[in-house]
Amino acid sequence: MIHRRSAIGTAAAALFVGRAMAQTGDTPTVAIQKFAAAGITDILSAKITQREKTTRFRGLFKTFFDIPAIGRFVLGRFARATSADDMAKFQALFEDVVVYTWTRRFGEYDGQTLSVRDSVPDGDEGAIVNSAIVGKDGQSLAVAWRTRKRATGHQIVDVIIEGVSMAITYRNEYATVIQQNGGMSGLLAQLKKQVDELAAKLDS
Amino acid sequence: MRAGTSVEGFEIVCVELLRELQRAKRLMIAVVCASIVAGCASKPPKSEPDARAVFKENNDRLEPFNRAMFGVDQALDAVIIRPISWTYREVVPAPARRGVTNFLRNLRTPITFANDLLQGEVKRAGFTLGRFLINTTAGIGGLSDVAADRGLPYHYEDFGQTLAVWGVKEQTYLYVPILGPTGIRDGFGLAVDNFGFDPVTWYTYADNPQWVNWAYFGALLVDLKSGTMEATDELKKSSIDYYAALRSAYQQNRAKEIRNGAPPPIEEIDGEDPFAKNSDPSQTATSTVQ
Repeated sequence: MIHRRSAIGTAAAALFVGRAMAQTGDTPTVAIQKFAAAGITDILSAKITQREKTTRFRGLFKTFFDIPAIGRFVLGRFARATSADDMAKFQALFEDVVVYTWTRRFGEYDGQTLSVRDSVPDGDEGAIVNSAIVGKDGQSLAVAWRTRKRATGHQIVDVIIEGVSMAITYRNEYATVIQQNGGMSGLLAQLKKQVDELAAKLDS
Repeated sequence: MRAGTSVEGFEIVCVELLRELQRAKRLMIAVVCASIVAGCASKPPKSEPDARAVFKENNDRLEPFNRAMFGVDQALDAVIIRPISWTYREVVPAPARRGVTNFLRNLRTPITFANDLLQGEVKRAGFTLGRFLINTTAGIGGLSDVAADRGLPYHYEDFGQTLAVWGVKEQTYLYVPILGPTGIRDGFGLAVDNFGFDPVTWYTYADNPQWVNWAYFGALLVDLKSGTMEATDELKKSSIDYYAALRSAYQQNRAKEIRNGAPPPIEEIDGEDPFAKNSDPSQTATSTVQ
């Protein structure tokens, strides 16, 4: 069910992304600005159903994020011992987890904007783009984006909110689950359960 | 004569009671120690390098004990702390809540100021003092953070961070019900800040009513919980092991505070950029499977 939905979602998202953008951006800063602008205009402020928002977000996420690289990082030292089949399953489930947990909160959007502050070099042809999500009341939240240069432009490999990295948090959490709850098959089973629950909530 | 006997009897009862109490205290200490020891996570053997690496990264030697404390905390949170924090968020308008946060931050200035100095951050200590003077006067007793608008943003230092700057490593993660995530070093730091640098503690030292301390502690707790509620709720919903996710988020946030907000260093696996284009060629084939 999930996979069929993913396939339909991917097809629709491909159309959407094809229309919106072919490249992410020539510089890390441009990539982040384009991601934020497309997210706000085409998803957060758009008068469309939650399901449509999820589909659009999946497309945007796949264009602007290097999901396979994030997935590999999240599995960390366990990636090497993971079979190609399990790796593919993990990547698909991980993508679903992020898409569903992010889209769940789109309804709370209240005119916040993203203001990019600066960009500093990081790692192999990469950067950390420092930005702030600014609310109507002037309250701001520090968000840093770790990017790497890829064939399609600069892609995001991590989001760091107030010093807390999404990739590192998932990596530490999943390492604990692998260690304490039945290895990779235990992790896949728990992720599957989580994705099913999140998908069911999306329908309700 | 009779009165003397009853006094004697009373004394005997008191002495016995004290002995009993001491015995009970010793027993309690023994029970607590035993549960901590029983709650220790054992270090995985050398034959399991991955497990050892995860053990080292998590830095949670008391994990079974901490998980039990986390369970207690979550139960207390659901019944007492969360309803209070939620009501506070719903009833008190955002500007007033911000006023409370500002007031408490201003009141706790001595903690940050002392630790700025102990870390040798004289310039930052100057900012802290400047903020205090501006916010206490122009900011109406600290209710408004006007100093931030004048280029002196808020920062927080504590004795746990000072110890970290002095090179003391966190011994282990520690979860304390109600207080939440901390560590042995940071918990000790909290005690030093509380007894040494906190003006409210100084106030209650001087024979002033103790309820002030409790009210202050309650205000700090509600302010903290209502401010972090959204983030922790989000983490809870997006995780499959909330305890592990919260531990990671706390440790990263703590590292950021110790670095004074500098960007996190690149995480390295096998000495390479883990996000490099071909960081792990053996997995390249699977990266196209979506």
